[in-house]
Amino acid sequence: MKKLSSKQILRDKRRVLLERRKTSKERIRQSKELKEIALEVNNWVKRRIKEGLNIKFLTKRDVAICLPERMNFSSDYESTALYIQAIRRLASRSKVNRKQLKLVSVDFSKLKKMSTSAGLALTAELSKWDDSISKRLKPVTDNWDPEIVNRFRELGFFDLFSSSDEENQISLPPQEADLSIVKYIKSRCKGSSQTRLLRSELQRITGKEIDKWTFLRSGLNEAITNVGQHAYPPTYKFREVDKNWYLTGSYRRSTRVLKIIFYDQGIGIPNSLPASELWEKVYQFMSELSVDVGLRKRDERLLKAAVEVERTRTGKSDRGKGLPDMLEFVRKRGEGYLSILSLRGLYKFSIENGKEKVKTVSFDNRLYGTLIIWQTTL
Amino acid sequence: MAILNVGVDFDKDPSGRYYTDGPASGERFREEFLKPKLGSLSRDEKLEIIIDGEVEGYGSSFLVEGFAGLVKHGYFSKDFLRNRMIIKFSDPDFEFYRDKIWMYIDSARFRSEKYASTKR
Repeated sequence: MKKLSSKQILRDKRRVLLERRKTSKERIRQSKELKEIALEVNNWVKRRIKEGLNIKFLTKRDVAICLPERMNFSSDYESTALYIQAIRRLASRSKVNRKQLKLVSVDFSKLKKMSTSAGLALTAELSKWDDSISKRLKPVTDNWDPEIVNRFRELGFFDLFSSSDEENQISLPPQEADLSIVKYIKSRCKGSSQTRLLRSELQRITGKEIDKWTFLRSGLNEAITNVGQHAYPPTYKFREVDKNWYLTGSYRRSTRVLKIIFYDQGIGIPNSLPASELWEKVYQFMSELSVDVGLRKRDERLLKAAVEVERTRTGKSDRGKGLPDMLEFVRKRGEGYLSILSLRGLYKFSIENGKEKVKTVSFDNRLYGTLIIWQTTL
Repeated sequence: MAILNVGVDFDKDPSGRYYTDGPASGERFREEFLKPKLGSLSRDEKLEIIIDGEVEGYGSSFLVEGFAGLVKHGYFSKDFLRNRMIIKFSDPDFEFYRDKIWMYIDSARFRSEKYASTKR
């Protein structure tokens, strides 16, 4: 072994000291960031409690979210989105400040009514949480409303949890005869072959072929392509395990209403527009209408612009998001609606008595990602 | 007459624009199936493309990249495609996709973009 010279030893010492200083600076920066996040999250919770968010403090830091009586994006959007948002904000991440409030359970006991789309969004949020804590969540259904247990069972909610013993724990009520739900499909897969499974399941629960299916399939293909291209961009640092999309459907026999629901938990259409090749045209569209994109109604307007720009200028551009493809199923069936909920905006296209109608809405609470709902009567 | 049955020869679930969008993208269809087939046609021979059968439906991104990309990247002119490509289907709902294919081809600008593969 060669003996180091005093000059070399000094150089090595300097290098080690410099590295230590760097690491400690990095640590201080990170801890400062986590402190800021904790403060932001805790203040958000305080504000929302004043506005009616039902949270139980189990300890100074551990909290339980008590879900409301009804969760439905049509009739109770604000409250439904608020609770889903609260789960996202409070569910644990790998690194958090020790003062940050931490979600340890979700109380379903008050929940009595839930739409299929709210069920899918809730399932997706809990699945995301479960993935982040190495699948340690366990549903305890003792005090759940039987209808809610059934709804979740049909949706496939309990299959999420590897530690679930729900089937053994409770005697399940008879299934609701009127409403059938397709077990949700969760995928990170970029191809669209899994939509075939949805088709066969919809045939099973409705007892018939879905007329004009090809146009729904076309819309689903584009929704899946959009997830791969725009929903989880690298700049947002999503974990690979979180880059999912979810799909389900339901059929109510008494009204013959069929619903198909697609959901991703990405950055949302309004946020993905500036980076897309559609942005220039959307911006132009907004300018023509003298719309300031910085206003409170930003998401609603961007969402509308994204659909309208493509709808009115298809053929001139080959770089859209395929949003008009999503309208086609409703249009070809001649009735029903398509709703696109993304962040704080809603775009709803409907056909009633042969008349096409477009409605847009701005909400106070944001829904993370994009929820697409098709409804038609068979 | 040469035949290309999308659902049998390519994939029964065509979807996505680029290679990065999945295994049955428009870019893959164009580069590995449609372009070679069209390129190998003998004088006056036509290519019949069957778009239904096993296939349930198409999104715009697949159709634009798969068909209009032939013009955009300067592989074939619009006239050549009009003369040599016959789009066939037996399901009347697929007329919609045929019309879209021709609309995208008609609105594409010849050799307007140099092709750069997205294959990883």
